Amino acid sequence: MLDIKIANDPLLLDYEDRVRVNAVNGPEWFSEIRSKGFRAYSEFGVPTIRDEEFKYFPLNGISDWKLGHPYGVTLTREALEATGVGKIDAVTLVFINGEFSPELSSYDALPEGVFVGTLAEGAEGFEQVVKDNLAQIATYQGKLGSTNDPRFVELNNALLSEGAFVYIQKNQTLERPIHVVFVNRAEEKRFTVAPRLLVVLEENAEAKLLESHIGLGGDYLSIPVAEVRLAASARFEHDRFQQETLSAYHISNTFVHQEGKSVYTSNNVNFGGKSARNDVNAYVNGEYAETLLNGANVATGDQVLDNHTRIDHALPNCQSFEIYKSILKDNGVGVFNGKIFVYEDAQKTDAKQTNQAILLSPTATMNTKPQLEIFADDVKCTHGATIGQLRDDAMFYLRARGVPKAQAEAILVYAFAAEVLDKVTIEEAKSALEAVLFEKLA
Amino acid sequence: MLEITNLHARVEEKEILKGINLTVRPGEVHAIMGPNGSGKSTLASILAGKNDYEVTEGSVEFNAKDLLELDPEERAGEGLFLAFQYPVEIPGVTNTYFLRSALNAIRKYRGDSELSPTEFMKHIKSKAAMMELDSTMLSRSVNEGFSGGEKKRNEIFQMAVLEPTLCVLDETDSGLDIDALKIVSNGVNTLRGPERGVLVITHYQRLLNYIVPDFVHVLMGGRIVKSGGRELALELEEKGYGFIEEEIAAKA
Ligand SMILES: Nc1ncnc2c1ncn2[C@@H]1O[C@H](COP(=O)(O)OP(=O)(O)OP(=O)(O)O)[C@@H](O)[C@H]1O
Ligand SMILES: [Mg+2]
Repeated sequence: MLDIKIANDPLLLDYEDRVRVNAVNGPEWFSEIRSKGFRAYSEFGVPTIRDEEFKYFPLNGISDWKLGHPYGVTLTREALEATGVGKIDAVTLVFINGEFSPELSSYDALPEGVFVGTLAEGAEGFEQVVKDNLAQIATYQGKLGSTNDPRFVELNNALLSEGAFVYIQKNQTLERPIHVVFVNRAEEKRFTVAPRLLVVLEENAEAKLLESHIGLGGDYLSIPVAEVRLAASARFEHDRFQQETLSAYHISNTFVHQEGKSVYTSNNVNFGGKSARNDVNAYVNGEYAETLLNGANVATGDQVLDNHTRIDHALPNCQSFEIYKSILKDNGVGVFNGKIFVYEDAQKTDAKQTNQAILLSPTATMNTKPQLEIFADDVKCTHGATIGQLRDDAMFYLRARGVPKAQAEAILVYAFAAEVLDKVTIEEAKSALEAVLFEKLA
Repeated sequence: MLEITNLHARVEEKEILKGINLTVRPGEVHAIMGPNGSGKSTLASILAGKNDYEVTEGSVEFNAKDLLELDPEERAGEGLFLAFQYPVEIPGVTNTYFLRSALNAIRKYRGDSELSPTEFMKHIKSKAAMMELDSTMLSRSVNEGFSGGEKKRNEIFQMAVLEPTLCVLDETDSGLDIDALKIVSNGVNTLRGPERGVLVITHYQRLLNYIVPDFVHVLMGGRIVKSGGRELALELEEKGYGFIEEEIAAKA
């Protein structure tokens, strides 16, 4: 059944075995998602830098990896708590190498109208909700333009197994934050892991969630997919913390579907990975909705941190604000590609995109590409990119007050990134991220 | 404590300071006045260690050290403070964090131990009260979104916290309302003492009613062309700089 190309694809090694294991989790009908994903991915295989969307993201490093099944690794509570974000007080779901860990999770005593649990549990209690949304939001179908590359979404579908599901019913607010932790640790064997998150907020519902990807050792490839549906007037803060190991690849895809007056805030923090790539796509299908996409990235050593955002303004009177910041040290590489599509009907769209990078060494590089495609005439769309060093006037001001040069630099670099972390309103998450940032910059 | 001798400086190809001589002894207050573009801020910036300027001739001694050899942070450690004509905004760094870093760095430079957080807060709270500074300003980012007058007041607040031995004030009075001018002057006067020197750059005699100088100097075309007592400021207020130009022309 597998042709030669696919049989040699390092990401599909032992695929049939894996599916047999994966099929144990979740309902029978997940297999349709898997086979559709498999077929779609197989058409293309691993991207190369000749693929426009992966121009700055070389994947040749993994082509000679043998990537197997990740399951079977355990983790103590102490080891989890030793990670920067391991102690946050929240409704918590923990996945170790993709495998759900009931011992490390705590998600009982939830208020009426709120579900937080695994996809399999969700598919039992709320089959129709999961059916209507899983692998339905993560698609480019019916959207303008053709340059996005869905193959890692398809591969995640092909490997669909366990995942997290959050479902907040109409008019409900979950006050406690939710923390979904994906911990990865490769021992002798390298692996591919396909974390999955589905969030559905009904009309006027509200929640805050931190999605953490933590690497504790080894080489692996993680290809998470998150899907978020916000009904009218729903409000969702989606904080994301990526700290994979410095030899891991991380390729994530987040898809958001927003209805009228909903507010989606993404705070996307990336410190880890040998190469990490994040796509955040928001499709705004209602009026007076707000989309806020914020990003903070710190690349040191030879890290590549690549962020692609895409906002589809399909209807009028919506606002989007986007600010992505990168701090690049050593040979660090930053990439930012920001697409904004304003559809013909989307009059009075107000979209603002900003991208800023600080290069702390002459060998660090930043590649920025704003891509505004506007098909309506009465809109306000702006984008600005700055790439530079630390501000001289601020450096001098600090030093003139007695702060030594190295410390002044550290203060300014920290402040540059902290502006984004400040937008995280889960207080414990914010202080944890600040502490990790401080350590990363030291 | 400060001895400037025949100081020449230029930026790019343009000569701005053309031989400044000025001595400030402990306890003295000197005022520098002069037309726009005459080089007042340039002089202040060179004292603080801004490296946009090239010193081509002359020397500056501070506490018997060669000031021009020191880094800006070392100058602050030695006790020099410049209140900027245009204070800088630093988003993401709170006033409190900024001041704690500065104060502890200066203490470290002098071989003193760091202040504990409680001691530090007590210290800045009392100075904030003296400067009638709203306590919310302490937790805001340095100068970010401050009004022109608030920035100037914040400069003198920082000076009060850091307790320098030589205070250089570059047009701290411009942008201040009448009440703020009194508060700021009061802040400076509180710091006056036998061991401190003050150098005020201003365009207006009004400030000198509050901070009464021992000496007034007129800086024109990169040189100090006239010095005198505080009555010189009154004369300038009345006659403008024209009469000095005439005096110089007459001598030539
Ligand atoms: N970095 C610079 N590059 C080019 N020219 C400069 C620079 N800094 C100062 N100058 C020039 O040097 C001259 C003196 O400027 P300075 O700011 O010292 O004047 P000032 O006496 O403080 O004036 P004001 O009363 O307006 O504040 C001006 O002509 C100014 O344009
Ligand atoms: Mg000036």
